[in-house]
Amino acid sequence: MSKVMSLKDAVSLVNDGDTIAIGGNVLHRAPMAAVREIIRQEKKLLKLVKTAGAHDIDLLCAMDCVETVDAGFVSYESKYGLATHYRKAVEQGNVRANEHACYTVICSLRAATMNVPFMPVHGLNAGDLLLENDYFVVVEDPFSGTPVTLVKAIVPDVAFIHVQECDQQGNARIVGPKFEDVLISRAAKQVIITTEQIVPESRMKLLKDQIDIPGFLVSAVVKTPQGAAPTSCYQKYEVDDRSLQSFMAQKNKDELISYLQSYEKKDYSGGTKLW
Amino acid sequence: MVNQQYRASDMMTCAIANLLNDGETVFHGVSSHLPMIAMMLAKRLHAPNLVHLNIPGGVNPSSVTQASYSSAGADLFSGAESYFPLEEVFDLSMRGRLDVAFLSGIQFDLHGNINASVVGSYQKPKVRLPGGAGSAVLIPTAKKAIIWRTKHDKRTFVENVDFITTRGNLWKIVTPLCIFQYKAGKLHLDRIQPTSSLEEVKANTGFELSYDEIKYTNAPTEKELSLLKKIDPFDYRSIEF
Repeated sequence: MSKVMSLKDAVSLVNDGDTIAIGGNVLHRAPMAAVREIIRQEKKLLKLVKTAGAHDIDLLCAMDCVETVDAGFVSYESKYGLATHYRKAVEQGNVRANEHACYTVICSLRAATMNVPFMPVHGLNAGDLLLENDYFVVVEDPFSGTPVTLVKAIVPDVAFIHVQECDQQGNARIVGPKFEDVLISRAAKQVIITTEQIVPESRMKLLKDQIDIPGFLVSAVVKTPQGAAPTSCYQKYEVDDRSLQSFMAQKNKDELISYLQSYEKKDYSGGTKLW
Repeated sequence: MVNQQYRASDMMTCAIANLLNDGETVFHGVSSHLPMIAMMLAKRLHAPNLVHLNIPGGVNPSSVTQASYSSAGADLFSGAESYFPLEEVFDLSMRGRLDVAFLSGIQFDLHGNINASVVGSYQKPKVRLPGGAGSAVLIPTAKKAIIWRTKHDKRTFVENVDFITTRGNLWKIVTPLCIFQYKAGKLHLDRIQPTSSLEEVKANTGFELSYDEIKYTNAPTEKELSLLKKIDPFDYRSIEF
């Protein structure tokens, strides 16, 4: 049975208040078409999870979709500066920043993949992050008696992952760096794949040893050519510098709505066609 | 021969390259163009077997010269010799096998406390910073943690940091004015950059300087500068300046 659906239908699987894991890393292979559709559907109070985010988290914060962000790093890279909207939202108290150490996001997702409530994390033994946050707890290792830090499991309700290709069952192949995407596909309750192209199952079968996310873990497949833009998609396109610069120039919500509208046609261009 | 025509970015890149040894496993994260170029330079100079690890997971990328370059981007992967993803780089550090990690921050104090999180309070910050990324787990576990910071002023090197993202096990902090070394729980002035002076470092540091003797880093050599032009023709090392 095909899991191919429209971007609108796939994103409607998200409920207000859900924990959303976002694939990619900083300016690379972020599922931006899905992020923009989340904003169009005015989802609220989302709890975002990502090791290192940039445009995705910034845009969702700008448009008031976010309650908390669990991440180690939220910023553009040097050239584009800080994530202004995320910063403002946290400073004004509208969004809570749950600062992690990147690796602790990984460990909290690893805990989710094993359905255990927490994961011991080596290394996290100093600093105020331990004191200020309730998702880190230092306990005595019952075996050795030495202190060990635990990080609470994070079970995403929905993971959005953008890939270069998958079939209509959701068997997906990530070309190039996979970042934390394979891990989040195992941690999340539902996985939504957006993809540059949908390829025949017969072709994917030939590449079965290169499939990163098997279809049985996937709830929905959405064809979104250029779906990671303006972030990069390895071997397909680079970071869209012009688009990011134009985003940076837009300060208020009204201006950002026109930025989002400029992507609307592109985001929906995949329809529900297979190939 | 010493070349007088160099900039702070060249000088810092060379100073950092000279901190790296052959055969070491070395990691840099996002927004880390300067250390990335320093690693490429060290590999060309004295450390051909240095192992370059990064966020996209491309081990030993052959080049970092593409114009659309990002320090977590595609060319770190496309010309690499193998794939070793970020979560495994962290695991490597946890088991004590990462030699060097490059990290940054916004405030540092005499006791080696590092703030990359907030200015003001954590719950209601005056300024929310990008976050320490991997530093809170890498600084305690990497054999040597090198911080680079292109600003050296009293707002950066402070009496007390607003928030301790992490502390301890720091090795060096490299700035345009000097290199600090962390020893016996304190930041010591290790070397002054050739373009600066003890007075200038003092005037721009918000805590009392401790030092044993006055030493200077070497100015970049002609060979280093000409290699830098080859490795980094688009001058990514200067992005933060």
